[in-house]
Amino acid sequence: MVVDHLLLMLWHALLVAVFFAFLWRRSPKDRGILFLKTFLIMVVGAIALGWLMYPFP
Amino acid sequence: MAASEAVVMSARAKERASKKTEPAAGAPPLLLAAAWLIPGLGHWILGKRVRAVVFAAVIISAFVTGVLVQGELGTPRPGEPFSWLATLACLGNGALYLARLLWVNGLHGVFSSAFPYGILGGGDPVAVGFAYGNTFLYTGGLMNLLVVLDVADIARGEKD
Repeated sequence: MVVDHLLLMLWHALLVAVFFAFLWRRSPKDRGILFLKTFLIMVVGAIALGWLMYPFP
Repeated sequence: MAASEAVVMSARAKERASKKTEPAAGAPPLLLAAAWLIPGLGHWILGKRVRAVVFAAVIISAFVTGVLVQGELGTPRPGEPFSWLATLACLGNGALYLARLLWVNGLHGVFSSAFPYGILGGGDPVAVGFAYGNTFLYTGGLMNLLVVLDVADIARGEKD
């Protein structure tokens, strides 16, 4: 079983982004935009937060 | 005579128009139960087939991933109030949650004398994916609860 943290995070972000895109938007274009926004915010935000926490023990 | 008829007809037309715009009083409880029990079934019944398939795929994928990486389902524990919140979140998974609890505990384990306490949530706390697994399980349940609310809104005519 794959337990790579980055892969699991990407998979989680993908599922959540797809979910909210279909829950909150109706047109394919709007869904695509919301999916990209949500996905990128989650992934980039998590990596950025990881780097910010890096100096701390 | 003609004037009074016109007034009555106009009043009826207004009544009909207001009925069209007002949402129904509530969503059918059976529909909401179906939406909770089987992810996507509520949207499927309402004819929103694409959304039904997507929601089912997403929620089932999250649940299966959570179980595969050794996540633990939330179950009530004595003296731990937050365990009730975890239980509520995981309970959102519907039949998946119930089936997993039965799989882990068996029927006797679930309905033991200590009910609702003493039910095991499965998973392995020392596994590498334990925390991730919990997150997937909680997320899946919470997403399905949002889906149930969406079904209620659609059934009441507040959303399409």
